[in-house]
Amino acid sequence: MELSPKNPLSAEPDVETAHAEEFIEQLRCVTDTLPSRINIDAQSVEQGLAKLVLTLIEFIRRLLEKQAVRRMEGGDLSPEQIEELGLALMRLEAKLQELKTQFGLADEDLNLDLGPIGRLI
Amino acid sequence: MKLYVYCVAEDVETLDQPILGISGAAVRVLKLKDLSLLVTDLETDAVPVTGDNALADAAVVRSILDRTTPLPFRFGTVVGEEQLGNYVSAREAALKAKLAELRGCIEMSVKIISDQIQPEPRPQDPAQGPGATFLAAKRREILGDESNAARAAEVSQWLHKQLSSLIRNEQVTLRPTDKMILSAAHLVERGKVGLYREKLAEMRQNRRDLHFLLSGPWPPYSFANIELELKTQFGVS
Amino acid sequence: MDVAVIEEWEESELSLLETLDHVLNRGLVIAGEITIAVADIDLIFVGLNVLVSSVETAHEVLRKRPTE
Repeated sequence: MELSPKNPLSAEPDVETAHAEEFIEQLRCVTDTLPSRINIDAQSVEQGLAKLVLTLIEFIRRLLEKQAVRRMEGGDLSPEQIEELGLALMRLEAKLQELKTQFGLADEDLNLDLGPIGRLI
Repeated sequence: MKLYVYCVAEDVETLDQPILGISGAAVRVLKLKDLSLLVTDLETDAVPVTGDNALADAAVVRSILDRTTPLPFRFGTVVGEEQLGNYVSAREAALKAKLAELRGCIEMSVKIISDQIQPEPRPQDPAQGPGATFLAAKRREILGDESNAARAAEVSQWLHKQLSSLIRNEQVTLRPTDKMILSAAHLVERGKVGLYREKLAEMRQNRRDLHFLLSGPWPPYSFANIELELKTQFGVS
Repeated sequence: MDVAVIEEWEESELSLLETLDHVLNRGLVIAGEITIAVADIDLIFVGLNVLVSSVETAHEVLRKRPTE
């Protein structure tokens, strides 16, 4: 049964788009993750745990930010409260950044692949 | 002796033509429990993780796609012959059920890029402190995220509605905050691939606001996995 | 460089990237993918199968992990 207009035994799949450049840019991230996803050695076990913990904290931090914005939009907070909240969240973001640097983790590293559900962040 | 395993299929006695796999090594058919596995005998335990090896793996699995629908193994599957035998014995029923489920089908892929929606900035109060300024910027970011999420959901629903009569199954990933907001794998019967392609051509015309990437046919990478009995609740076994 | 040449290069890079996107992180897994579930909803897939380093190293690494 004919599957593709090209030679049926070709090793190359049919790829069709009018926007090759854009998709190349987006898909490059796939190849960027190629070595780190598959290689496991003793050192990265600790780093793996740090990743897990920091990802969870990052997840919570973002929830807090969303909550803060929601309250702000709802007219629920006084200007003083907004300022205080903003400063606290600012410091949390900075602290997390510090910890990431300490463990040699980049922003892209902090993400849990939840399989079929997608990514945590 | 370690084996690199590419895929498992039904009714494959021999390869139509010799094909080279991982690191340019030979590929052979290994029959276990009347299932056919495409394997390479490895000299060493380690397989270099390279783009070339990933492509070689893909080419091997693809080489039998015209005659049957295989279940591809995850890239980098290296096992001892005994372990492989145990796996196939233990999962024989599940593998055969999965092969039956996917029989006669292939995977098609749709990826969609959309421009991000940016919300209007709020007029700034010049007396604002750093905390409030921080939150104002976050507000823009978060509200933008929310409208992008709504957009991704809308596109996903539209895609599903348009194609539901032509697909057997789908696996959709949404990334609302990326440019590529949607990536979908569709399980399509071989006989319907033509119609599927036509439908997509029509859909592309109707949604000029979206950029599409279509590819396929592929072996059913997104639909092949079978469940392992290692789940526990609130814990790791 | 004329337009036709650029497109050809783009086409093959795209084909390569698309292939990689399909081949990686999908497909049958033989061993050690653990699902941590809460109330029947799968939350975390922990890939324990050390794919391309030697099996002995994998056992070592797994033995070092803290157990709960």
